[in-house]
Amino acid sequence: MPWVQCLCQETMTTDEATKTEGEVQAVALTERGEDITPAQDRGVLKIIKRPGSEDESPMIGDKVYVHYKGKLANGKKFDSSRDRNEPFVFSLGKGQVIKAWDIGVATMKKGEICYLLCKPDYAYGSAGSAPKIPANATLFFEVELLDFKGEDLFEDGGIIRRIKRKGEGYSNPNEGATVEIHLEGFCGGSRFDCKDVKFIVGEGEDHDIPIGIDKALEKMQRGEHCILYLSPRYGFGEAGKPKYGIQANAELVYEVTLKSFEKAKESWEMDTKEKLEQAAVVKEKGTMYFKEGKYLQAVIQYGKIVSWLEMEYGLSEKESKASDSFLLAAFLNLAMCYLKLREYTKAVECCDKALGLDQDNEKGLYRRGEARLLMNEFELAKCDFQKVLEVNPQNKAAKSQISVCQKKTKEHNDRDRRIYANMFTKFAERDAKEAASKTGVERVAEKAACEKGLKTPGAEDEEAEGHV
Amino acid sequence: MPDEHSQTTMAVDELQAIIQRCQILEEADFKGEDFNLFLVAGQKCLEDGYAAQLLEVIQNEKNKVIIKNMGWNLISPLVRCIFTYKEEDDKREHCLRILDQLAQLCNPKELFLGLLEQIEQTSGDQVCQTVMLLLQPLQTVLLKLQNKKAYSVGLSLAMIMNQLTPLPVPYTKQQIQEDKLGLCQCCNAVVDFAKPFVNEVVKNMEKSSEYHDMELKEELLKFCMKSLKYPLLTAQLEQLEGIEEHPFRHFATEIINILWNIRELIPLVFLHHKGKSPPWENQEFADIERKNSADSVACLSYLMFVQHFGIECFPVVFSPSYLLLCNMTHIEVLLKRTEESMLSKGLDLFESSLLRMEDNSLLHDYLEFRDFINVPQDLVKIMTLCPMEHLRKKSLSILQLFIDKFDTEGKYTLFRCLLKTSNHAGVEGYIIKNIKDQIHLSLTEYDNVWFTGHHLISLLDLVLSLPEGAETDLLQNSDRIMASLNLLRYLVIKDCESDNQTGVWTTLTKIEQNFLKPLRVGLNMSKAHYEAEIKNKKENRKEAHSSNTVCSVTVSGEKMPAMTTGMQLQVLHSALFTFDLIESVLARVEELIEVKIKAVMDENS
Repeated sequence: MPWVQCLCQETMTTDEATKTEGEVQAVALTERGEDITPAQDRGVLKIIKRPGSEDESPMIGDKVYVHYKGKLANGKKFDSSRDRNEPFVFSLGKGQVIKAWDIGVATMKKGEICYLLCKPDYAYGSAGSAPKIPANATLFFEVELLDFKGEDLFEDGGIIRRIKRKGEGYSNPNEGATVEIHLEGFCGGSRFDCKDVKFIVGEGEDHDIPIGIDKALEKMQRGEHCILYLSPRYGFGEAGKPKYGIQANAELVYEVTLKSFEKAKESWEMDTKEKLEQAAVVKEKGTMYFKEGKYLQAVIQYGKIVSWLEMEYGLSEKESKASDSFLLAAFLNLAMCYLKLREYTKAVECCDKALGLDQDNEKGLYRRGEARLLMNEFELAKCDFQKVLEVNPQNKAAKSQISVCQKKTKEHNDRDRRIYANMFTKFAERDAKEAASKTGVERVAEKAACEKGLKTPGAEDEEAEGHV
Repeated sequence: MPDEHSQTTMAVDELQAIIQRCQILEEADFKGEDFNLFLVAGQKCLEDGYAAQLLEVIQNEKNKVIIKNMGWNLISPLVRCIFTYKEEDDKREHCLRILDQLAQLCNPKELFLGLLEQIEQTSGDQVCQTVMLLLQPLQTVLLKLQNKKAYSVGLSLAMIMNQLTPLPVPYTKQQIQEDKLGLCQCCNAVVDFAKPFVNEVVKNMEKSSEYHDMELKEELLKFCMKSLKYPLLTAQLEQLEGIEEHPFRHFATEIINILWNIRELIPLVFLHHKGKSPPWENQEFADIERKNSADSVACLSYLMFVQHFGIECFPVVFSPSYLLLCNMTHIEVLLKRTEESMLSKGLDLFESSLLRMEDNSLLHDYLEFRDFINVPQDLVKIMTLCPMEHLRKKSLSILQLFIDKFDTEGKYTLFRCLLKTSNHAGVEGYIIKNIKDQIHLSLTEYDNVWFTGHHLISLLDLVLSLPEGAETDLLQNSDRIMASLNLLRYLVIKDCESDNQTGVWTTLTKIEQNFLKPLRVGLNMSKAHYEAEIKNKKENRKEAHSSNTVCSVTVSGEKMPAMTTGMQLQVLHSALFTFDLIESVLARVEELIEVKIKAVMDENS
């Protein structure tokens, strides 16, 4: 198509020529543009100005990076991402952009530049878009597809989703919802699983489905068909899955169709009696997962108890007792799970809550000690273990942990002394700054008035204490 | 005036004495008592009106080192002095030059703290004056600072904004023009103060994106967010006739320019709800931060979409429904407030978001987002409870606009939701009238499944019923009941029993049972009750003419003037009139039903 090249050269020319060039493009589009609307109503016409470098097109839900320029029929430019100096990013096929774009960009290949001529029905219609787009305007766009990537569901790179077929509506299964899905699992290019299955979100493990699928389902809509790329963390992890011959730390790919689902009751939809009954069920379930070493799954089950009962008011005395005992068990077990998952801050939080219910709880104190020890908070850890001994002087494990704490404290101190020897000056300065922000100007003013260049002794002391 | 003269010489002499002693000292040898003596002597010079002499001392090249070290001490007495002189006083002019000199000569670190201290200590009427006086030297000093510049700029801006925040924001045209406390002027001065730092960030961003640049940028961002919340969220931002340069519109433009220049504008408007909040350790702080920024971003969206500030930088490819979705969060934030300035901003933002859409183009799926259900309920609250009439009217017209934008399924769901949640007979009556309009459309223009057949019947169940059967308070619910009866009358006239497009004929027995029958009973009871009451009142009036104030009404804590028996009778009569009205429509409906059924029966026989 030689005329396409001719157009290419034209765009390289000066701004002077843009207006006429715009007209030429519009005419070319009307005459030769391909109708890309599903309805074939010539609502969006497209001409490829520069073919893409790769054959792949973006899928629904993909994060799409484009540069573009938009003009009205009279040639007046109304928008350009290049003027803003940064590519425009949006999620494809989700109705975030005008219809013409969701349709048009989906047809593009990576690296492609195309022209789109968009009828008002596919743009801003009779309402227009104040202040730039008048009513019933046909819009002309030049779009360059720079890049696209699958949707990063939890923004941690752990689960990447690419949607093959969009689902209906905007509601998703929640944790505990019953779902019916079809899934196919792949590892290293070969298929290891293919089945139709009905299960409860959060309990996929019962059907040899990794936690990542449970998590992803909570972001899917009825009827959606998508590909999910799971990192090992969301797959079968370090344990692998001997049943399917999957090694440790394997990357997995799943194709999932969510056929239907029924939402689980939200906490506010349940009465106390129901909550207590269910708490017994999920506690059992959680313990089963825990014993199998499925800590993520166990966390989901124990978490349900917390979400149902933590904020429940107006209980009878009997109910309240039962509720507290469930909560205590849930927090203690959650703490244990988080220890295993190496999420020590969360473990400490759970112990705090358990101890809030029962301040002398031996397990609670011991686990908090463990978590703090692993977080290098030796002093605090030692306190916890000492409290364990106060509650139960027979606890040998706590005794040995105390000596571990002491040993570590000493090691740590020696190392700190070496490392931080020259850093006090720096810390003191930073402290001074923080002090200023806390107490306002007066203190700083005072300080500055007395001394210049000298560090405040107070700050230095504080810092030193922190490292003893 | 020998006496005064000797005093003056004393003050100046003392200053000269300490200066001379220090001139020979090395910088490092200045002692605490020197600082003190210098301060006392300088202060005395100022108090005794010898600013000119002091200025001379300061300008003297020989004293450079002394001023550099000790000069900042004079800020406090200097500011005090300046405010005692009149605008045109020469001495004031001298003082201002001293201030200017100090900004040039003093050690920036100390002067910075001195200036900030002054701003921190001012309050009430003097805040704006003080801030405006010190902005210029503060800027000079900050530009000279070597270390912790970003932090210091941030501290200054935060301090200034904190001091301004308690001041009332001028709202009416007159208040704005008068600008009694100088807030309008001051805000714009603060923006000018920030400009060099903005430029610095822009320049740095063009070069690279290193860590310390981020710091200054964050501080400026904080300042913008704060400004959006106060004063802009509370300010009147409509164009005002007769004010050429509306100070808050100008301020808003400048703030948006800063955001645009530091490239935070678009991310703020669009990425906000994805939770890009700073990591606070304390949950409470995180919540406060989120709430604060929700207010600020809501104001920003209002500025962009309603006032079109900064809209030229805004991408024109977003779909109107997506913009509505994004703005819905902000609208909800604003409509939850009670202040006129915020409510009207919320309503304007909602209106402008809806006006971007074509009728019937909003998919019912959007009702799955919580905001889309919550916000119309907030509207209902405003239209029924807000004390300001123009806002009540506006919210009603926006509710209609919102209804109009939905597809038929969306309208259907929305009607159901509003009927169940509004708890207000007037609103329910309004919704029922809307239902009637939709049925009319589906019967006359284009067929749709939602306002005919079984879907409609289940909706009619909600409409054609009395909340508490025959015991329902008919007077309180009269709006709703009249609308329901009108709807039913429309249905039986428009839809022949043979067609039964709407399905109303199939469900007639149920309607009779749940609605017409209890209504008839209720009407009879109510009428009897009110008639008895009237009779009672009239007799009472004859008997006890003296004490004719029997009942009292309290409206929002204030006791209304007591009702006389005459007024009470009037009320009772008007209630009876309402019942008569309901009864006549009810009779008409029953008659229509009877005639139609009879016609069909005749046809069949």
